[in-house]
Amino acid sequence: MNELFPTQEVGSLAKPRWRTKGYRGKALSEEEIAEAVSWGRKLGIENLEELVKLLSEGDSTSRKRALLEWSSKYAIRFFETAGLDIVFDGEQWRSEMYEHVIRKTAGFKFLGYVKSFDYRYFNKAACISKPKYAKSFYLDEFLFAKKNAKREIKVPFTGAYTLVDWTFNEHYEKKSSGEIRDFKRRKFEAKREFLFDLIKEVIRPEISKLVNAGAKWIQIDEPAVTTNPTDDEMELFVESFNETVKGFNCAFSLHNCYSNYEVLARHACELRNCSQLSLEFANRDSRQTGTGNARTGYKEIRLFEEHGFHGDYGLGVVDVHTNFVESPELVRDRILHVVKIIGDPSRIHVSTDCGLRTRTWEISFKKLKNMVLGAELARKALK
Amino acid sequence: MIGCYVTGALPRPNELIEKTRAYERGRISQKELEETFKKATETVIKAQVSAGLNYVTDGMLKWQDLLRPFTEGLEGITVGSLTRWFNNNTLYRKPIITDFVERDKEIVKNVTYLGKLPKNLLGKAILPAPFTFVALSENQYYEKEKLMFKFAEIINEEIRSLAEASFSYVQLSEPALVYEPLAPNVKKDKLALVNDVLEIAVKGTAIKTCLQTFFGDFSQILPEALDFPVDHLGIDLYETDIEKLKQYSFDKGVALGLVDSRSSLVEGQDELVAVAKEIIESIYRSRMEEVFICPNCDLEFLPWERAEEKMKVLSSVTKRLRGEFS
Repeated sequence: MNELFPTQEVGSLAKPRWRTKGYRGKALSEEEIAEAVSWGRKLGIENLEELVKLLSEGDSTSRKRALLEWSSKYAIRFFETAGLDIVFDGEQWRSEMYEHVIRKTAGFKFLGYVKSFDYRYFNKAACISKPKYAKSFYLDEFLFAKKNAKREIKVPFTGAYTLVDWTFNEHYEKKSSGEIRDFKRRKFEAKREFLFDLIKEVIRPEISKLVNAGAKWIQIDEPAVTTNPTDDEMELFVESFNETVKGFNCAFSLHNCYSNYEVLARHACELRNCSQLSLEFANRDSRQTGTGNARTGYKEIRLFEEHGFHGDYGLGVVDVHTNFVESPELVRDRILHVVKIIGDPSRIHVSTDCGLRTRTWEISFKKLKNMVLGAELARKALK
Repeated sequence: MIGCYVTGALPRPNELIEKTRAYERGRISQKELEETFKKATETVIKAQVSAGLNYVTDGMLKWQDLLRPFTEGLEGITVGSLTRWFNNNTLYRKPIITDFVERDKEIVKNVTYLGKLPKNLLGKAILPAPFTFVALSENQYYEKEKLMFKFAEIINEEIRSLAEASFSYVQLSEPALVYEPLAPNVKKDKLALVNDVLEIAVKGTAIKTCLQTFFGDFSQILPEALDFPVDHLGIDLYETDIEKLKQYSFDKGVALGLVDSRSSLVEGQDELVAVAKEIIESIYRSRMEEVFICPNCDLEFLPWERAEEKMKVLSSVTKRLRGEFS
């Protein structure tokens, strides 16, 4: 592992067609199988003929499981071949970050689709009874990744605050109706109770399993943290994060993106056992090379510094929402610019802005390779 | 008089959701999508009628967000990036004001299924209030206040046109004025400005108007809001300090956002009746004005079936309140 500017990604990677179609039990075209073989060769995957045989078989439970393992192995090799120091499996075992957890947990019911924007919707669940741990949602995936990865592992983990924020809170609101007359306070207290029950009953038991199985670093994904940019809500979030990670012998980091970071910056230093803030910046930055004025996207780093955050940054230097491939020089300059602001280069992990799931493997691979090269250029520049 | 109505876009029923997704993926034609929009509009109007609402909207199923018909329909504005819609897990596209803003065609009428609205019932239309539109836009052209006055003129033209089209009621949606992170301490001079802007928006229109606030505490704009030149004031009771609200005496009508559009829990009616009764008795000490029972904001935050249930709650609570105050 590189001691200075270790490279990492955030979590998700697109699922190959042979994985998604295959998992649904649909027949694969020759072209789709050829794609699996071609990437397999590129990534040095062994026993490819076994995968080809599996892809031609009919649907079964054991085939589904095997497909998860194969795509997991592909994603791990993908990140390793691109040269990252810290890897995971591109979340190949998960449908997506919300549904995956909720479907495996008792106490929830999906109510149907609600609008996200335009013609996009998301399937929203309601909490209808106290959440209960039903089965593990990340452990098998972690064990497989641990066995197969040659590099250090960071496990992405959807945070409790986001799960609660994206869920209708029927159970707790019903429970407190009549008790508290003020509707606003009632909803807030119901949210708090839901949040801490979820942490106690579901989140901590799963973290405990991961830590016992050897997880050394868990990244808590909390995209919803900045949805309610008030101090009351941020204090609730900080309390929930601290409660989530309390007492575990494991490193934790926090990922957030596409937000106004002002309110997060005010509270980041209150997070305990949070070794790294992994944040999106490249998306809001210019594409010109250079440090200083060219780096319009990295202004908010100062806010975190001014408010006394002393941990590391998972510095987003690669935009995951565009096919533009950042040059190594641009990556280098983004890193060096932030070094100038924070002074201590050892606090920077070089990262993508967010998960790469919306990009093709071809584009993702090019972006990651250049990110790795850019980190190397930055190391040389500081020598 | 105690009545009830909805205060924003209704959720798209499942069939429409499926068709819009199919359309996005290029699997159905524009014509088929349009047919589904019409059918779904009939469904959501019928639901309002059978629930017994006193004013009926067309459900605003076509509105991609509260601002979009204006963002896309007015000259001088371009459609900007996806931006979070207040503290919700939904997004809108930010209007970018790049040039002189002009209204050279009908805006709301063009996205409303006028022909589907029942002729024997009162029609309600919903528009963004000028302050909120400006607060949520990126203004690259006007001096700040001038844009607000310009938009107020456009809203005035729209209201006139909607009145001609036999609408009886216009709601101006005003979340930005009370949403805490945007308006931590609403200053008196800002409220004076909003007052002037509303004067222009409603000038010369012979139609009932309501300034519907939501996502924030209405009590923070009291007592100034009592002088706003609108007939009714809309209040989100899930964000408002109700005890503080009850300290004021009202001489105009209110729309009480008593049903929570952001919670799937169907409210108990006894409690809603009790809360509404207390508020009405407190704010109307001598003479009661018009009162509407409504959702706190757009019901589109819910799946359609839940929204339908909540409309029935609105209606039942209203009937019981009429009994209380008859």
